[in-house]
Amino acid sequence: MANYYDRVLNLCGFEDEEIKKEKPRIDKAFQKLEIGPEDMERAEEWVTKYHDIDLVGVKKILRAWLLELFDLVLARDEGKKIVYYGFPSIEGPGMAIKTAAGEGVYCSCPDVILCHTLGQIFNKINPVLEAAERGGLPPGHGLCSLQQVRNGGMAKGIIPVPDLITGSSYYCDMGSKADELLHEKYGHKAIYVDGSMDSRWGEFPDYPAEKVEFLGGQLNKLFATVKELFGIEITRQLWDKAMATGIDLARAIYQLEQLLSADPMPISSAEVELAMMLAAASTGRSMTEGPEAINRLCQDVKQRVEKGIGVVEKGAPVVMIFLPSFSDPSIAHMMEEAGLAIRVIPSSLALSVDKPTPQPTLGEEIADRQLKMGAYHSSFGVVKIVENAINALNADGLLWTYLYNCRPMALTSHFLKKWVEENTRVPTLALEMDIYDSRSYSAGTLRTKVEAFAEMLRARKVAAKA
Amino acid sequence: MESLDRLTAHLKTRLVDLNKAKEEGVKIVGYTPGGYLPEELVLASEAIPVCLVRGGDHSVVELAGAYICRWIDTFCRAQIGYGISGDDPYYSIIDLLAIPITDNHIRAISDILDYNTDLDIFPFGVPHMKEEATLRYYKFGITKLKTRLEELTGVEITDTKLREAITLCNRERELLRDISLMRRSELLLLSSRDFVSLCHGSLVADKKVMVGILESLCQELKEQKAPTNKAPRILLTGSTLAIGDYRVLDLIDNAGGMVVIEDFAEGIRPYWEEVKPDGDLMQSLADCYFRRRVPPAWFRPGKERLDFLIKLAKDYKVNGVIWYQLMYRESYKTESYYFPDRLKREFGVPMLTLESDYGPAETEPMRTRIETFVETIRR
Repeated sequence: MANYYDRVLNLCGFEDEEIKKEKPRIDKAFQKLEIGPEDMERAEEWVTKYHDIDLVGVKKILRAWLLELFDLVLARDEGKKIVYYGFPSIEGPGMAIKTAAGEGVYCSCPDVILCHTLGQIFNKINPVLEAAERGGLPPGHGLCSLQQVRNGGMAKGIIPVPDLITGSSYYCDMGSKADELLHEKYGHKAIYVDGSMDSRWGEFPDYPAEKVEFLGGQLNKLFATVKELFGIEITRQLWDKAMATGIDLARAIYQLEQLLSADPMPISSAEVELAMMLAAASTGRSMTEGPEAINRLCQDVKQRVEKGIGVVEKGAPVVMIFLPSFSDPSIAHMMEEAGLAIRVIPSSLALSVDKPTPQPTLGEEIADRQLKMGAYHSSFGVVKIVENAINALNADGLLWTYLYNCRPMALTSHFLKKWVEENTRVPTLALEMDIYDSRSYSAGTLRTKVEAFAEMLRARKVAAKA
Repeated sequence: MESLDRLTAHLKTRLVDLNKAKEEGVKIVGYTPGGYLPEELVLASEAIPVCLVRGGDHSVVELAGAYICRWIDTFCRAQIGYGISGDDPYYSIIDLLAIPITDNHIRAISDILDYNTDLDIFPFGVPHMKEEATLRYYKFGITKLKTRLEELTGVEITDTKLREAITLCNRERELLRDISLMRRSELLLLSSRDFVSLCHGSLVADKKVMVGILESLCQELKEQKAPTNKAPRILLTGSTLAIGDYRVLDLIDNAGGMVVIEDFAEGIRPYWEEVKPDGDLMQSLADCYFRRRVPPAWFRPGKERLDFLIKLAKDYKVNGVIWYQLMYRESYKTESYYFPDRLKREFGVPMLTLESDYGPAETEPMRTRIETFVETIRR
């Protein structure tokens, strides 16, 4: 007998045989997620309208996200220990925990998973946000909507209470406080990896050794807690193994990023975002399904490039975006409808730093590398990342989509535009938005600003040619 | 009271005195409030510490709108407005602005003033947890500050000078604590507005003058025949209570309530702990200012502070708590959700949460809420 969700799952790359095999898990997961037959029409419309499902690679990536969602929702029922990390966070510790613990531990960033599935596939993230608004993170106060997704997901019983939460206390205040609120409610263990972004403007890429010692020590503290809780040791050897596990995925993403320099832009930034964020949110399906899915997408994109097919006109202004929407693909499409070839900041660029200086401990080695990368160093570090990315992409414009409710981003609202325009001469639109909750920052509300910016960039290109 | 009049007179000419000192070559070191800047270091370097803690004016917050979006704490936006516009004359006379980076809102002041003005900014980190490693990092920050102050003033901060400054600052803390503790009494000794004025004054005034004023005030309070206080007793807590942001105090007073104890991250000097004047003095400063200090809400977890608030509520026998926070300071907003339940469970008193963006339109709704709250706890 056909299931109410067959069609949507088929659109998202599931074969009939797989649905049949996974049916008990899917039924149980959808029940917890409060997804029923009444949600399918909206999901089908959303997926077909905003995802390029003519491309097998896109379907495979959507499938990987859904499998990760099922794993998340069912982790406790399936007897797993659960670890959640935050976004953004230092890359690696989550993957290392997963590599060391194996199948017995489920480790992910649950809120990012809910955005990409309940948001991007089912268009049903709002009830989760509303649950958080009733549960301690009310609207109207500029509280982080990603934390609302986590809070609401737990309040609704969608995502299980974890055994350990690890917060990026070195970056934002809200994540740690929101985790503290959850700890008050559910009593699970929370460990805060602390740090201090106390550099002066212009200090990047320099930093004192004490900063490495501090952040590194905090990471070592996390590893010690993991050992205490789960009996697993994160050694240098294991770290290298964990990083090697991600190499296939990183190569696939790198290949995809290279293909995006084609003119016309072959795929929507909505799909690129789906591919790139899989690694940030998941330590499971991103590794098992991710590389194949993204490699397949690369094949699809290559064919489009060869045929000269694009999602925008040839010669469209290339505009870099720092963070596209995690939950609402209609925003990326609106930008492309305005005639902009949107390029997401390449992950390969963010990772291309010198080898870290040898450090006495693994934590310090990781800390040193992170500080070299800039994002957790200072606002000036962020500015330099953006400047380098603009130059590398040879972008015509920058959409500085700062999250209004993310303080480290919000504080850059004005000076980043000023800096970029003065130092690169690339026009910048500082666009206040919310990449997790598009109720107040929908495609419709942002359209006029983006269209005006696109018009200006086109005029500049024409003038430059003349 | 005569001592309070003396303080008012001293503060009236403070700016003139500072300008005069500056002309004579004395360095003026500004700093953001929050209690993480050891003034002892500034005094020992023969410079003058001045806390930049003015607020309460929405028009300055609006000025900041040209440099930062509105989703940053109101007080911090006000500092950006003052720093860039020069509307606060203290910003114009400082030779160095030391900024203990406590959270991203304070970081916004540092980044934006550093980028947009010629102010000489010196940020240093305040970690968010109490551990040996975080204490070490805080000490590293204040040690860097010590070096910077020595460069700025050309004065070596010796142990002798530092110990002298510690003794002076300890005396100020001790006197403020003594006065505060007197308010546990049933007698109406000193209004909250007056106590807040003392705290604010101590952030700007000449340290020796301030200690003298506090000593004579202590004496005056001991000698006065005060009436019994019949008004509902209130603990006022929150993120920032700036110089000029007196609306909430006035509204509580007008509604017939009596604030008997205040706890703020910024604006009320932490006076509960003293610096031990022996051993490694930098370690002593770090120990007092970081390890023993009751932390603000941006520490994680915030349990120590919430435990302390309940202790204060009990010690000062309050009938209710008013939680006054400025807009978008998310650490306070988050704690304000779950603290009332704990407060009710452990001490049985209610809490009113108020928020402000320094907007004039907030006054009447705030008045109604405070009046209702005071009426409720009066019964």
